[in-house]
Amino acid sequence: MNERLPISEIWVYLSGDPLFALIITLATYQLGYVLYVRAKRNPIVNPVAISVVLTCIIISVLEMPYEKYFEGAQFVHFLLGTATVALAVPIYNGFKRMKGKIFHMWVALMAGSTVSIISAVAIAQWMGASNNMVGSMYAKSVTAPIAMGIAERIHVSPTLTAVFTVITGMLGAILAPYILNALKIHQWWIRGTAIGVGAHGLGITRAFSVNEEAGIFASMAMGLNGVMSAIGLPIVLTYLRPYLGI
Amino acid sequence: MIEGLVQLFLWQGLGELASKFLLPSIPGPVLGLILLVVYLVMKGEVNPQLEQVADHFRQHLGLLFVPASVGVLLFLPELKTHALAVSTALLVSVVLTIGVTAVVLKVFWYLSLKYGKGQRHE
Repeated sequence: MNERLPISEIWVYLSGDPLFALIITLATYQLGYVLYVRAKRNPIVNPVAISVVLTCIIISVLEMPYEKYFEGAQFVHFLLGTATVALAVPIYNGFKRMKGKIFHMWVALMAGSTVSIISAVAIAQWMGASNNMVGSMYAKSVTAPIAMGIAERIHVSPTLTAVFTVITGMLGAILAPYILNALKIHQWWIRGTAIGVGAHGLGITRAFSVNEEAGIFASMAMGLNGVMSAIGLPIVLTYLRPYLGI
Repeated sequence: MIEGLVQLFLWQGLGELASKFLLPSIPGPVLGLILLVVYLVMKGEVNPQLEQVADHFRQHLGLLFVPASVGVLLFLPELKTHALAVSTALLVSVVLTIGVTAVVLKVFWYLSLKYGKGQRHE
């Protein structure tokens, strides 16, 4: 390593370039996505989880600090906001399909997201998780781009929130069919709505592959849940924080 | 493709402005989303360029939060200490969230079909 070989010079040049972080991020995701499609979209083979784990391994092996990696990867990260705005389209398409059901969905979403937050926060706190961890449970049932925006507003870690969101999406997509069958819920639109709240992005992809109606309702539920939480959570927390001790 | 992206960026920009000057507690992109929904409802249709870009974003939404999630490296020791608490909380919460949403929706829907003011069956 002491001798400056040409190859190592190229390496030093490349690893200092934002392009390198972008290549790792996109290439690992691409690999994850190919595996996911090969596995017939089995939610256990989650492309995001694969990409995150591989990227973590690669930058650890190369001893690249996270800040350095993020300098390059921020170009991908930046598009989160744009992707959030794009959720307007499935919400609008959903509105057209579900006249007369919107109020019901809204009530169910309120119930679902309240239970989601309270159960996650209460269990984590009761089992002695640190404040950092407990705080990041608040927004984990919201789709990641919105969840991270909320995390910034309520001053908890956007990173942990994103990670918990990804895990929630995986668990939800894997477990949803069993939960819904056990509860004897057979209507596609109700199944879709529950999946959109509980399993967001990954659940939706799965819902679409099973039934189109379920997919549309899931997309809409995910979007609406995100908007409601973004508006409601910061307000609720301002009043509740003193009692929760977080 | 580009046309759809430009539209999204403009709505995002509007949302950021609204967030900065009017409603600082709500993230800019969420306000952009709300404004765009209102616009689409008033207009009554989604133009194909926007539909196309929105579809791509929805399909690969996951890619966009890889950079942030890699930050989990910084929290590994803390996560290890609290692994059991975190995984139990996430698991139980997911099951409850999906179950409660589905049951509330089903019960409420049938109640309103039964007692509602002439809701149409579908």
